[in-house]
This record gives sequence, C-alpha cells and structure tokens, in this order.
Amino acid sequence: MPESLERLDRGPRLPVSVNHTGVLQKELHLALEEHLAAVDSGHKKVRQLVLALTRSIEAQLYDNAIGTLQRAVVSSLDYTSAQSLYRIYRQLEPHWAKPAAKTRIAVLSNQTVVQFSQFVELFLFSAGISGLCYTPDFGVLQQEIFDPGSGLHDFSPNVLFLASTWRDLVHLPQAADDKQKVGELVEAELSYWRLLWQTAHQRFGCQIIQNNFDSPPWRHFGNFETRHVGSMGRFIGCVNEAFANGAPPHVIVHDTNYLCNAAGLWNWGDQRFFHHAKLPCAPEFLVDYAHSAASLAAAQLGMAKKCLVLDLDNTLWGGVIGDEGIGQIRLGAGNAEGEAYVAFQRYLKGLKTRGVILAVCSKNEDHVAREVFEKHPEMVLRTDDISCFVANWTDKASNLRNIAKQLNLGLDSMVFLDDNPAERSIVRQLLPQVCVPELPEDVTGYIRALERHRFFQVVAVNTEDLRRTEMYRANIERENAGSSADSLDAFLQSLDMRAVIGPVNSTTVERTAQLIARSNQFNLTTRRYSNGDVQAMAKDPNWITCTVTLFDRFGSNGLISVLLAKVQEDVLLIDTWLMSCRVLKRGVEDFLLANLVKTARSRGLRVIHGEFIPTTKNDLVRQHYDRLGFSLISEDFDGHTGWELAVESWTGRKCFIQEIEANGQSV
Amino acid sequence: MDNLCELQEVFHEVFDDDTIVLKGATTAAEVGGWDSLTHINLIVAIEKRFKIKFATAEIARLKNDDQNVGTLLGLISLKLAR
Repeated sequence: MPESLERLDRGPRLPVSVNHTGVLQKELHLALEEHLAAVDSGHKKVRQLVLALTRSIEAQLYDNAIGTLQRAVVSSLDYTSAQSLYRIYRQLEPHWAKPAAKTRIAVLSNQTVVQFSQFVELFLFSAGISGLCYTPDFGVLQQEIFDPGSGLHDFSPNVLFLASTWRDLVHLPQAADDKQKVGELVEAELSYWRLLWQTAHQRFGCQIIQNNFDSPPWRHFGNFETRHVGSMGRFIGCVNEAFANGAPPHVIVHDTNYLCNAAGLWNWGDQRFFHHAKLPCAPEFLVDYAHSAASLAAAQLGMAKKCLVLDLDNTLWGGVIGDEGIGQIRLGAGNAEGEAYVAFQRYLKGLKTRGVILAVCSKNEDHVAREVFEKHPEMVLRTDDISCFVANWTDKASNLRNIAKQLNLGLDSMVFLDDNPAERSIVRQLLPQVCVPELPEDVTGYIRALERHRFFQVVAVNTEDLRRTEMYRANIERENAGSSADSLDAFLQSLDMRAVIGPVNSTTVERTAQLIARSNQFNLTTRRYSNGDVQAMAKDPNWITCTVTLFDRFGSNGLISVLLAKVQEDVLLIDTWLMSCRVLKRGVEDFLLANLVKTARSRGLRVIHGEFIPTTKNDLVRQHYDRLGFSLISEDFDGHTGWELAVESWTGRKCFIQEIEANGQSV
Repeated sequence: MDNLCELQEVFHEVFDDDTIVLKGATTAAEVGGWDSLTHINLIVAIEKRFKIKFATAEIARLKNDDQNVGTLLGLISLKLAR
C-alpha cells in the first residue's frame, strides 16, 4: 500500500450475542426514523443508517436490514446517498426472500443509464419487486430492438423501458417550415417510434414504457418559442401530445417532460454531465427519474396503493377539534393556515374523484369528529367522500387493521397520513406493510410530501376508477342489508342481481388487465398478464376468455371477475380465475361456472381442470374448486392443488344472478 | 472541520470505506475504485458538500495523472474564496 494512503485501524469485530440482536434492531429502527425525518428536508442522516445496516449485515440480521432498507429508499434521496443504499442493496440481495417472478427490465437509451438502472432496481426492491435490469452500452437503442442477434433478444424482457430524451428526436423541423410541414414531421416522428414499439411488442410481447420528451432549457425564439410552428419547443409539445393520443395500450408513456419541468429546466439539463459522461439529466435528478419509472413498472404489476387513511386534527384542519371546538379549528378563508388546509382537502378530494379510496383513522369521539364533516361550512371532504370512518380511542395500528378488513383491502395497499411523528413511528413498527410518509410541520408542504412517493400511480383510468368510492360505500350498505335479511338466499334474491358475461373485448380489455394486475385475494393462480397478453388470448381460438360485469339494485359493481382458460384437446384448463373482493359470497362463481360449462359443452370438451397456487394472500380460495364440486386430483408439498370436473356430470346450482346483454336486455 | 477532513468524509461516503486517510499526495490511482464512473459520484458529492461548482474542463482534468488530493483541495479553496 502506498504510504500516502494509510488506513485507520477499526479494531477486531466483536461476536454478536442475542442481546446484541435487540440492540441492533433498535439501532436500525432509530436510524431509519432519523433518516426519514431528515431526508425530505435535505438534511441527510444516511451515513448513520448505512453504518447500522452494515453492522446488521455483519451480524447476519438480513431480514431486519432488508425491511429497513426497503423503507429507507425514497424518491427524495440525494444521488450520493442513493448510491450508498444501492451498494447495501447489492450485499443484501442474495439474502432476500424475493418473489419468485422476476421482472426483467431492459433499459435502452442513447445516453448513459448505468446509474439510472441501478436506482430503478433499488426502487423496485423497495416496492417488493425482484427486478433484473439489462442495460446495454449507450447509443444502441434502435439496434437492440431491430437486430435479432442483440443482447436484448437473449435477455427477453417483460418490461422494455425506452429512456429517450429530446436529443433522440429524429424529424426535427426547420425554422422556416410551415404548419403543414411540421404536422407531417410530427406524424413521421410518431411513426418512427411506433415501429420500434411494434417490433418490440411482436418480438418480446412485453410491456413498453416510453419516455415522452423533456425540453432543452434554451429557446431559439425566446418568448415566441411556443407560437412559432417551426420551433423546437413547439415541436416537442406536439410530439408529446401525439404520444399521449397515439400510444397503443401496450405502451405506457412516461412523462419525463413533467419531471424536467418540476426540476427546473436549467437544473435538469445541467450540460456539464451530458458533455462529460452523457448522463441524460443532472445526476441529482436521476434518483427521482428512476423512482418515477419504477413506479410505473410497479403500478403495472398491481403494486400501487389503493387507499389513503387520514388522521384528522392537524392533518385535515389546524387545531384539535375535541379541545377547541368546531368554531375554533383553523379551516377556511380568513387565515392563511386555514386556507392551506382547504387547499390540501381539495387535493385529497381530487384523488378520491379519480379512484383513490379515502378513510379516516383518528383519536377522537366519533360524533365530535363527524360533526366537522357534516356541519363545518368550509370542509371540502364530506362524510360520503370517506369510505370508512373510524374515530375512537383505540390504538391506530388496531384501527388500521380494522379499516383494511372492512374495506377488504390488504394492509400493503394502504397509506397512512398523520401529522404526529409518534403515531407514524409506532405504526411503522407495528404494521410494516402500511406506508407511512413523513409530513412536514407546515401544512402547505403536505401535498408535495405525499406526491413525491407516487403511491397511487395508474397506467390507465377507467370509469370504475372514477366511481370507486360510490361502490365501496354501496358495499357497506349491502352488508347492512345482509344482516337484516332472513336467510342468505332471501338476501341474495333481494339484491336483484344481473350480469353481463362474455369474452374479453375492446371495451373490457383495459379493466380486465387492471384486475389481473391487482387481484390478490380471490385469485386462484395469481398469474399476471399485461394488456397485450390479454388481447392476444382474446384473439387465440385455443383460449376461452370470460369477464363478468355485475349489477344489483344498488347500482353497478363494474367488471368484477375474469376467467382465462386454455383448450387442450378435450380438456379445458383454467389458467386464471379471479374476482374482486367487493362481490364475495354473491354466487358469481356459480354463475360463471354455469356459463363455462355451457361453453365447454358447445365445444365438445370433456373435462374442466382447475388449479390453486397458494400465496400469502389467497387463502380465501383454497377450497374454491371443492365448493364448486370439482374433485381433487393432485396436491404438491407446497399446497399447489389440481382439480377436475367432468362436464357431463355437472348439474346446475342455485344462482341468483340473471344474465343480461350488454345493452341491459334479458338474455 | 478543515477542508481536508471534510473531503475525507466525502471519500468515506462515496467509496463506502471509513478507513481511507487522505493526504495531499494521494492520487486517484491509490484510492481503490476511483474510476470514471465513481469520479462523477465524487464530483457530485464534493459539489454538494462544499456548495461549489466545477467547470466542465476541471471535472475532466481532476482525473489526470498529475493531479492529486492536494490539487483538488487547492481548487476547492480557490472556489470557496471566490
């Protein structure tokens, strides 16, 4: 070793005792809490966390270290800290009991995306997804797709991320081009990318995530840039619009343009790092960029959050309602803080409107808390915006469990928002599955604190998203109706259920893919298929696809069940059977099976095969086929079971659902 | 804390190695893992820690053979004094 680089002697490592384990766990928890409290405000405390994680790895406390690291990885990390945590991730990765299915992500770019891909992997890990990134050398975006001998073909991705920037635009306009010419160039640009998408989709059948285009920070036409048809700025706007309107369902458009605007164009486009290392943006923004991209991959896999649980005092209004009373809390005009709480509620209402389920979990007297929702003139959120309202003096962890149960949601699809650091800390400890973001002291920072996590990312919005709260609330009404009905049959009868059943078609494919991505509990095999996969099955004569849309006297439940089955000679193999938990115990299974048997008979099939693949979440359907009259034909040591039903021997069962056509007419 | 100590902390963080002891004569070749990729990491971390900005030419030059921790510190002090 050269003399100029001495090493400090850190002394011998001590063996780890049981006692020491407890100390390390506590140290990890504290280091995580301090890190999370500091990271959003830019005062980093990552070093302590890295040391605690390193000590835990040495002591082989892998599970604790993994859980801690998963929660420590947030989008507001600075570049250097993200690198440190990535290196810890590499050490822990071999010890991670990861999900069996690996997400194989290829990141193609004409810039340097090595660091970016590492961060994507890190964020996928944080979301509980085992990601494997393929990052070929930069500058070969097109070749990797078109050349059948490329590394990409060997890698065979299930997600392909095209990390393009404005430098990759091919059909740039000239300053003197007129409107028609520029219109043609925009079309040509779209066609150019479309060919890449088509080729990739045909060859790999994968989901594609395509960046739209960021903007260079400079404008040749200055202020007139947005109005002059031949300008770069205007052209980029047009191409981005063409992407938004023209991308097919198997292409998710990643809004890089938003990222560069949020960062500030001059900050994002720090040219030093482009000229020096061909980085697509300034290093600091690679972290958030990767988080944004990873959040789309996670949403596509159904890992997005579904429900936001809100504390009340100092979260939705300023002050404590139980102490100060309805006239004294700060909410509404005339007071800056009160106005900021209204603005925050408006934001939450917007989330609710697009399909995020809102719930309340507060330490308050129930009637005192409800009175604000019912009587305060400035409240934006009202009782009917809240799908589940819990105000009592029980601890929040128990209440959150209860809310999850009432809404039929997994704890891991919930986000809990509370201004009180002690409540946040205890929920993080007791319910590690629940996401608990830090909140700043100032209410004007709440929206950003929530937004930066990208919890509720969607890859498509459909009518059911827009009506979700209504449906969840109707569910609670149905349950109340259920308790007063004399018998289950009478209850089911009283629901006046009607259903549209049929193969997947162009109007149902999006919702079908969404259900496949999201359903965990009533899901026999938990196989995930992309929108593109489902479309391919719908066209394939060897596949029978089936969806059920259910109506009852309370309204529409939406498309709630999907079945995908493959014909193999005279056997019908049920590959996928899933259902939304909103409509449990309504007889949809019997209804669907009756229809399937009818189809099987008409095609001369002899038997129907079913299988159950256990996961941590689908115990609900362990006996699904048994209940439907199938016989058990195989059972693995891991609980994987196979079932069989002879088509001829099947006799109908009582069912209270009437089949109707899509136009509402009886069949 | 003087600049050398602060710089040493930056090195500890960037190279994940708390045992590194920097001296003026330390060169890039002597610090394990100081390649062109970690060079960017180092530049980003130094800029953030000292709240300074290196010019494009300086970023490239700092990796040259004739450079060492001493010349890096000199450049940092110069920028801090401005």
